Amino acid sequence: MTETVTVRVQRYRPEEDQEPWAQSFEVPYSEDLSILDALNQIKDQQDPTLSHRWSCRMAICGSCGVMINGEPRLACKTFLRDYRGKDALEVRALDNFPIERDLVSDISGFIDHLETVQPWLIRSDEQPVSAGAYRQTPEQMQRYAAFSQCINCGLCYAACPQFGRDPAFLGPAALTLAQRYNLDSRDEGASQRMNWLNAEAGVWSCTFVGYCSQVCPKDVDPAAAINQGKVASDINYAVNLFNILRGKDDA
Amino acid sequence: MRKPYVQRQRADWWLRNPAYRRYMLREATALPLLFYTLLLMSGLYQFTRGEAAFLGWLELLRNPWLLALHGVALAAALFHAVTWIALVPKILVIDTDRLRVSPTVVKRLHQVGAVVCNVGLLLLVLLLVGGGR
Ligand code: SF4
Ligand code: FES
Repeated sequence: MTETVTVRVQRYRPEEDQEPWAQSFEVPYSEDLSILDALNQIKDQQDPTLSHRWSCRMAICGSCGVMINGEPRLACKTFLRDYRGKDALEVRALDNFPIERDLVSDISGFIDHLETVQPWLIRSDEQPVSAGAYRQTPEQMQRYAAFSQCINCGLCYAACPQFGRDPAFLGPAALTLAQRYNLDSRDEGASQRMNWLNAEAGVWSCTFVGYCSQVCPKDVDPAAAINQGKVASDINYAVNLFNILRGKDDA
Repeated sequence: MRKPYVQRQRADWWLRNPAYRRYMLREATALPLLFYTLLLMSGLYQFTRGEAAFLGWLELLRNPWLLALHGVALAAALFHAVTWIALVPKILVIDTDRLRVSPTVVKRLHQVGAVVCNVGLLLLVLLLVGGGR
């Protein structure tokens, strides 16, 4: 007889349900089966109405984020074997986001936050294409390299109690992206982004819980990025104050 | 038809995950420090009320409960300082074309600074107490 594992999957069908509920499925156990494989197996062979998101199956696209036993994780990067012998294996939609259906979250607020910080190279004057690419040294690239590894999976938002309290908070990934461009030697947009960093919804809404960095599947360390943003925001404040005191227009 | 289910943050969110519990423990180190501040302020107040009042306050400090609370406040302050200094290299990144300081050095400098300040303060107090005799 093959060993099976019970997976409790959160269901929410907007047409008929008022709130989410849990449905148990039996999945044949195998050493190399990921939670995503298990969900696909359920959808293919047991209940085709189950909805969940995925694409790459290799921790690159960032679409398969779910709560697994209460922790935000990528379903494709988490394996049944890690939960062998545990009492329960429970899969829910990501915390802190509205649930669209079953395991599918509405992440549009998060995507808007990413756009807000203008995550692209801003130049005071663009050089013509004929001048070639903007160049930078490997050392200069190293300064933001880790922060550029984000795959926009949203796990850090599910991990952030400040975002859970107030969805207007720009949150870990967006503020990290701002810091990523502010640290890029080719970028000249830091002063524009500073308005967002300094805002109520910016870096100062972070209380350094730090769980975002723990759950990030790409070791981006958003908590570090945000708190470096606080240092930048402090410096910006001091410079502005100094300029105002000297009677200059504030920046 | 769309009908997204909005998940509300539960009041007990911080009890539901060990990472949040650790965070709350760290935040809670402010409470013993609040106690300590209030105690010091009451001492100052008694001082303004004259010698007898102040000596009474000094006597109060010998209460074993208060001594225990001092121990808790000290432990909380140390815990906060150690965990904070461990985080500093993440926040204070010194890496420019002209100057680069490694994260370990940033951390060590903070540790040394903390020890020097505390020992210095202790010596100063001992000196003042000795000189007052
Ligand atoms: S910072 Fe990490 S956890 Fe957050 S969206 Fe990017 S990859 Fe995901
Ligand atoms: S399926 Fe692409 S990250 Fe998991």
